[in-house]
Formats: sequence, structure tokens, C-alpha cells
Amino acid sequence: MEDYLSNLEKRSISIIREAKAQFKNLAVLWSTGKDSTATLWLCKKSFFGKIPFPVIHIDTSYKFPEIYEFRDKIAKEWDLDLTIARNEESIKSDMSPEKGKLACCTQLKTEALRNFIKEREFDALILAIRRDEHGIRAKERYFSPRDEEFRWQYADQPAELWDLYVKPSEDFSHMRVHPILHWTELEVWQYVKRENLPINPLYFAKDGMRYRSLGCKPCTVPIPSKASTIDEIVEELTTTKVPERAGRAQDKEKAYMMQKLRSLGYM
Amino acid sequence: MIVLALDALDLNMVKRYKCESLMQIECGQTSLSEFQLERTVVLWASFLTGKNMESRIPLKTQWEFKLKPEETFFPFFKTYKAIDLPAFSLKENNHAEERKLLKKYFDEETTVEEYDALAWKNHEENKKDFFDSLGRFDMVMGYFDLADAIGHLSFGIPEKMEKVYVELESITREVKSSSDEFTLIISDHGMKPVGKYGDHNRNGFYSTNRRLALNLPRITDFYNIIKGVAQGESS
Repeated sequence: MEDYLSNLEKRSISIIREAKAQFKNLAVLWSTGKDSTATLWLCKKSFFGKIPFPVIHIDTSYKFPEIYEFRDKIAKEWDLDLTIARNEESIKSDMSPEKGKLACCTQLKTEALRNFIKEREFDALILAIRRDEHGIRAKERYFSPRDEEFRWQYADQPAELWDLYVKPSEDFSHMRVHPILHWTELEVWQYVKRENLPINPLYFAKDGMRYRSLGCKPCTVPIPSKASTIDEIVEELTTTKVPERAGRAQDKEKAYMMQKLRSLGYM
Repeated sequence: MIVLALDALDLNMVKRYKCESLMQIECGQTSLSEFQLERTVVLWASFLTGKNMESRIPLKTQWEFKLKPEETFFPFFKTYKAIDLPAFSLKENNHAEERKLLKKYFDEETTVEEYDALAWKNHEENKKDFFDSLGRFDMVMGYFDLADAIGHLSFGIPEKMEKVYVELESITREVKSSSDEFTLIISDHGMKPVGKYGDHNRNGFYSTNRRLALNLPRITDFYNIIKGVAQGESS
């Protein structure tokens, strides 16, 4: 297991270093969840303890208080160049999940990030997505170009043979870089345990419930669980048949269709 | 000659709902293996020209893309009528309105019922234009996007899709009862369910009222078949 986790780690570190070498203005997204915290740790390891690019946290204003506390604590301890991206205009106009979950996500997450990328002229972003999270993510590449509308042409992506992550020659707005694409949820937890990483307390069971995936408070529900330690979470994941993002309210089929129709030019 | 261009008509659905008029004498699946994506405008432009048009039609401006008549098979006929054809005679306002409502649906600013109502209204308009044109031209090609438009938001709802297929079957039955001209029914792509929604797949459909013994024809292969029909009719 040690060797296996080390191999996963080595590959992720090589992807992060490749991204730093290829792009002038790189940043990493951090939600404070287990995946993005593990990714931040990998970024730290890639550059010998100090992450040499900004860390972006998208603040929808609807996050759990525990997320904000955890974010500020770790940012200080790890000496992060933390920047908060918020769509102030939409927050002021009272955008909320009651006005539609998809519209809310689009305004407070997608638009916030789009504006921030434009403002800071980032040409690449590191994200902590994994192929095993959702069917649509299984189609992702390690280096995945996006246009200015954030469109992803999943049927027309660069090949990534023999670990060669080629920067496509055609125009793109920015590149998404996915260093833990090949990890599973279980492997992330095993790595968290091995590296003794700090973890948001929302992941641990309290009164028979815990959060398995963290999002905004109104749109995330806990799952029944007795796992109150990392060992118990690892044990739980080896037997569960419940999908990881079952507690997230956003309609995935609707989101998939919207993405697909955009890629076909309908919207 | 009559061509019924039925967007997203799916071979499996035609069989499931036993649409015998749509199946005609010969029917089968088309091959889209030469295309990267099942883009409506690209596929119809390729059908009209007999060439793969994927690289010529940019995604962002695809709905404004228009072929010249001489690039298509239409001039092989003395007179022709092309109703609402993507890449040729698209009723831009109708389709722009449909796409606008589709976006509004995903932004949760409208309901699926409002979107469906518009799709059916546009369909009825095309149906009228189509039947008004039959018998008045050497070639009539009518485009109907009902299966695609309704399918994108409701392909996983059998009652809705059955209604669509029953409607398309009834149009075909009416055509067959009034004309014995060479009739080709063709779709650009098929459809598969994504929950209650519908996504394009490669299960495209063709049928003819003459036996041609085609084996998994490409959508671009029909250009020469249509040219042959036109030349046969004029000789």
C-alpha cells in the first residue's frame, strides 16, 4: 500500500511540476475538502514546502462556518498565498438556492471564478477532481483546455500518451490541470492518514451523521455514518455502495445535459 | 422526390413504437463514424453536400452557417423546396427562440411545458409548409426537429416520446397515402436517455420506399443516391 500511494503521489507531483513549467500564471483551487487539501499538500511537496502560486478559494457566502474556520487556520499554518473569489454583485442581489440551485451555482461559483480568472489573467488552474467521482469526470484529461465560456470539448481533447501532457496549439482561455484525476476516494483517505493531513471536522460522524462531500450548507446533506476517525472512514468506504456525492443536491443529470448541449452549440 | 429530415429520429425508438410507415420498405442505421461530434448543423450540411463539413462549420457560428444552392444536391432538380433546413433554409427566429427557452429552462427561468409548447408550435408550422409544398415541386425536403427538441428535455419520459413518434408516423402515413414518389426518411443522429433528459447518440436512421440494399450507409452517401434519383427522373 505504501508503494502504491507513493506511486500515485509521484505521478501527481510530476503533473503539478509540469503545469508550473508550462504555464506563466498558474493557481490552485481550494475548497477545503479532503481532495483539494490533499492536492494543496501535493503542491507543497512538489516545491519543497512552499506553494509558489496563489491558492483560490471560491466563497459563495453559503459555506459551512467550519469551512471558513478550517480555511483560515490552514492558510496561516501552511503560509498560503490565499485569495478569495466572490461574485459580490450576485451576493448583493440575494442570489440563493431558492432561486434555483443551478442558477445559484452558476452565479456564485462559475461566474465568480470566470471573473477572477479574467481579472488576474490566469492561464492555468489546478483542480482536485477525480475520475471516480462522476461519469462525466471520467472523461477528463490531466490537462484539459477550456474556452472563455468555460466550455469543455470532451470529444476533442489532446491525447495523453506515455505521460506526455501536451499544451494544445489552438486557442483556449485557460487550462484545467487535474493532478489527482487517477486517485479514488479511498486512496485519498489512505493518503490523508499516511501524511497525517489536517481534515475538516465535518467529515467525522456526529450523532450518527457525517458529510462525505463538502459543498454549500443549504445544498449539502450528511449521510448516516458512525465513522468518527480516519480509520473508520477508510473501513466504511471499503464496504459502502452509496455514491460519494449522494449528499450533494445539484441535479447531476441536468448539469451534464447543460454541459453537453453547450458543447453541441445549443446554448 | 420527397425527403423527410427528422432530427434525432432513432432507429430503436422507431422499432419500439412499431412505426411501420417510418420504416418503409427498407430501413436501417446510418454510420457517423467519420464525425467527431453529432452536431446537427454539421450533419445536415454534410448530408446536403455529400462531404464531411465538420471542419468548415465553427461551433460558435454554426446556426448562421448557410450553404449556397450549388453546393448541395438541390440544383439536380428543376424545382425544389427546402423547408427549415439547418445550414440552408433554417427558420432562424424559430430556432433561436427554441434555444433561448432551452437556456432559460436550465437557468430555471421557464418550465419544460413552455419549451415543449414552442417546439410543437414550430413543428405545426413546418408541417403546414411541408404539406402545402407536396406535389408542387420536383423535390420537397421538410425538416422536423420535434424528436430532438422534445427529446433533449424529456427523452426518458416514454409517454412524451411516444406522442412524438406517433406524430412523425402520422406525417409519414399521410405522405405515403398521397404520393408514390421516391421517399427518403433520414435523421442526423439518434438519442439516448440521460435520466429524464436525452443526449445525441450515433444511432441515426434512414428508410426508403425503394429497395436499395444499403449496408450502414454514411450520411454523406445519400448525396449520390439523391443525384441518381434526380437524373433518373429527368431522363
